Amino acid sequence: MKKMRLAGLLAAAALGVVSFGALTNAESIEPCTLNYVYWADNTDYSALMQEIIAKFNAENEYGIEVVGEEIPWDGGGYNNTLFNTVMGGADIDVATLKLTATPMFVNNDLLEDLNPYVDAWEDKDDISENLYNIMKQAGGSDAMYLMPWNTQILYVYYRPSIFEAAGVEVPKTYDELLTAIEKCTMDTDGDGKTDVYGWGMRGASGGQEPWGSFIYARGGSWDDLSTPEAIQGMQDFIDIYQKGYCPPTATNDGFQEIIANFKSGLTAMTVHHIGSSKGMVEELGDDVGAFIFPAGEGQWTSMGDTENVMFASCENKDAAFEWLKYLAAYDGEKMWCEGTGNIPVSTTVQQGEYFQNDPFMLVSFEGVDVAGILPIKDETTEWITNWPATVSQALVGDITAEECMQQLNAALNP
Amino acid sequence: MKRESFLKQFVTLYLPLVLLLVFILFPFYWIFITSIKPETELYGAITYWPRAITWESYKNLFTTTVNFISAMKNSLIAASLTTVVSLTASTLAAYAFSRYRFKGRRILMAMFLSNNMFPTVLLLIPLYSIMRNLKILYTPWALVLAYTTFTLPFSVWLLNGFMNDLPMTLEEAALVDGCNRRTAFLKIIMPLLGPSLVATGVYIFMTSWNEYTFAVMFTNNASRTIPVALKSLIGQLGVDWGLLTAGGIITIIPVCIMFFFAQKRLVEGLTAGAVKG
Amino acid sequence: MVKKKSIYPYLLVAPAVLIILCVVFIPVVNAIRMSFQNYDLRKPKDIAFIGLANYAALFKDPLFWKSLIKTIQWVVFGVGFQFLFGFILALLLNRSFRGRGVVRAVSLIPWVTPGVLIGLMWRWMYDGNYGVVNDILQKLHITGDNIAFLANPRTAFPAVIVTIVWQGIPFFALMILAALQGIPYELYEAADIDGASPVQKLFRITIPSIRNTIMITLLLRIIWVANSVDVIFNMTEGGPAYATQTLSVYVFNKANILNLGYSSAMAIMLAILLCSVAVPYLIFTFRGEDD
Repeated sequence: MKKMRLAGLLAAAALGVVSFGALTNAESIEPCTLNYVYWADNTDYSALMQEIIAKFNAENEYGIEVVGEEIPWDGGGYNNTLFNTVMGGADIDVATLKLTATPMFVNNDLLEDLNPYVDAWEDKDDISENLYNIMKQAGGSDAMYLMPWNTQILYVYYRPSIFEAAGVEVPKTYDELLTAIEKCTMDTDGDGKTDVYGWGMRGASGGQEPWGSFIYARGGSWDDLSTPEAIQGMQDFIDIYQKGYCPPTATNDGFQEIIANFKSGLTAMTVHHIGSSKGMVEELGDDVGAFIFPAGEGQWTSMGDTENVMFASCENKDAAFEWLKYLAAYDGEKMWCEGTGNIPVSTTVQQGEYFQNDPFMLVSFEGVDVAGILPIKDETTEWITNWPATVSQALVGDITAEECMQQLNAALNP
Repeated sequence: MKRESFLKQFVTLYLPLVLLLVFILFPFYWIFITSIKPETELYGAITYWPRAITWESYKNLFTTTVNFISAMKNSLIAASLTTVVSLTASTLAAYAFSRYRFKGRRILMAMFLSNNMFPTVLLLIPLYSIMRNLKILYTPWALVLAYTTFTLPFSVWLLNGFMNDLPMTLEEAALVDGCNRRTAFLKIIMPLLGPSLVATGVYIFMTSWNEYTFAVMFTNNASRTIPVALKSLIGQLGVDWGLLTAGGIITIIPVCIMFFFAQKRLVEGLTAGAVKG
Repeated sequence: MVKKKSIYPYLLVAPAVLIILCVVFIPVVNAIRMSFQNYDLRKPKDIAFIGLANYAALFKDPLFWKSLIKTIQWVVFGVGFQFLFGFILALLLNRSFRGRGVVRAVSLIPWVTPGVLIGLMWRWMYDGNYGVVNDILQKLHITGDNIAFLANPRTAFPAVIVTIVWQGIPFFALMILAALQGIPYELYEAADIDGASPVQKLFRITIPSIRNTIMITLLLRIIWVANSVDVIFNMTEGGPAYATQTLSVYVFNKANILNLGYSSAMAIMLAILLCSVAVPYLIFTFRGEDD
């Protein structure tokens, strides 16, 4: 009897070692419940996410049950709501997050490093090494706190009909773009007032992304915003506003306004990503096209991103990773990206027919090489918050381009 | 009441009333109009009555992922419970402040007043911990407790103000007649206070009905309230104007109907009290 | 009035005091403590006691002073007009006319409207391209061209004040209407016999009779409006060029980027500012009681 018991104990210990060694060993996952927090940009996406959750719950082999809790995006208030509840001790295992929001979570040791899980994952090469590196940069160390999910590349939407009326071609260089902006600004009915503006400028929150393209086109960069090149880019931006090449409402125009103005024909061009292409095509049919913000001295466009994170307090981490990878590479990724039109991070999913046939998706792929993100620093969120106020002071002429860029640089690169 | 000439009545009553009502109601009208306009009519030439009316948004309200019926129910529960709890506690406290002089009274009154001087955004993390430790997260009680806390100070002071404005003669007469304080409170003060209680109750109800920040933190999918439901219609890719405005309309109307019945109590108070007194 | 020692008043205030202490005591003490620390949750490891450094930084921050002035304007004009229109509306709603019940009910609409919708709807109505406000002003020949109300630093602040006025009218109307019910009718009858004009009756009977209610609603509303964030935030986020950034919006913005120490210090300055209104009121009220 004694011997048998000892053998049993040894066997159990051996099993324990094995399951400890390979973190994602399938046998180590017990049936459990995972609390997952996400936001949905509209009710269709919300329904889609619930569908994906239901499918995962029904089909995963471990008896994992994901419980989805939706929190409104609230213009970014989502991040603070999530942060406050997690700091207050909320029982959340997994959540959707953007790169820019990670520092506050990382600095407070709320997130789990995903490296061991990804290393043990057999399909980890389905996601490009470059993306993993971007995730690591955001954390400021070798640890990787985010699991890639989907991205969006910003590009320029334009109205072919207005281009034709103004006699311009799709710009291939930055100078051609500036000319096109000027020429597309037209008084179509001869009453002395501008009816069509060349550029749909985003001056309210979120405007730093398309703005960054102007800075880079003159040879500036995020590393030092006070260089003469960067100031020149800012001056171009101010000129567009002050010379009336964009609607005078630009200082308070956010996403909502730039899209509305573009759809109604008030503006000839504006910058956004593939997320709005469906609505554009519905409204405008053939009369909408896209091109990547052209190169001048330099070239840059903003990559939007959405990832998923695992919280350090999660008790079933292996199970949580099952859900993270389902969203990153398998059915979850396919369903979400096809339903929302976002760019998948999984190369297998990218090869799918759906993505190879969408013209806007192809323009997005074109932009991947020049796409980047704002440097993720402790200062970034504050900088983004203050960007509209600082830039609008320059647009309305309270401060010069140089003063503005010095302020912006001091805030981002102290 | 003397009969006034029509012109005089028009200038002193109807004209200012109509002007104020236009200002008050126009945005509401605009919400309504937006809810029945097709999306394409929103951008472009402004129409004061839609060229094509669509009730699609109202139908969608009941089929989308945002469960409006449940959100309305949750809001109603949270707001009604808060109104009862907060109104009861504040009536008692206000009565003590108004009719008794006791040690610590002034300090307590000052404390009540200063309670709401601090922006709630700085209190969120500890508040969440408290609700979690009390084990009432995701239940209506978390909201009731939070809303009661933030409506109490105002309610106490409002009711204290109302009570101080009440003529004390009736109450004193009752005390002289041999009623004890409790009877005097129930028989004299309460009926006289009717309008003020309605007004304060409406204040508490509205404040709880419209609150977003606590609601989004202290509820889950099952206990979401109206402001959270409405906010989830505003994503990164824009506003679903149709659903948002239709959702707004169907939350405004029932409350207005409720108030239509409540407002009768606003005028009944004094007469009822006087008769009983 | 009862002055003798009794346990009754303590029992009566106990529930209210207990609820408040149990919920906000710890968070408020915590916030006061944060104002003396460099409490920045983006750098949680560096948090330390720094004495009055946050306050010292505040006094050197031009944005703080700008926001302070904005706050005073916001409160004076916001609450002022709310009160004026609310008072007029209450007097009108107290008269008898056909359909009064319905009018009273619909007058409450701005208050019933969810805050989420208020900011967005007004922003939409003010829109510089498709906004109905521009259309109306042009049809009435008041303005010629479209005005970008919220994009122009000169018009943005008046525009958000109009919105907060709109939202606050029902509060005053309701409270004053309720208070009006307590005025004994005999007072007016006596005045009628003396041949008093309506204006005289307003200033000699109505206003003095509801003095307490007027004072307290004004004070409570000042506190509320000074602390309100969501209307401004949903309409302009404090922009353009800080034109609509009141102290509470500044606090909110700083708190959102997790600089809680600095924003707590600002919040305490805001509370002190509000006390400068509340304390005279309290002294005035308590002195009145002693007479």
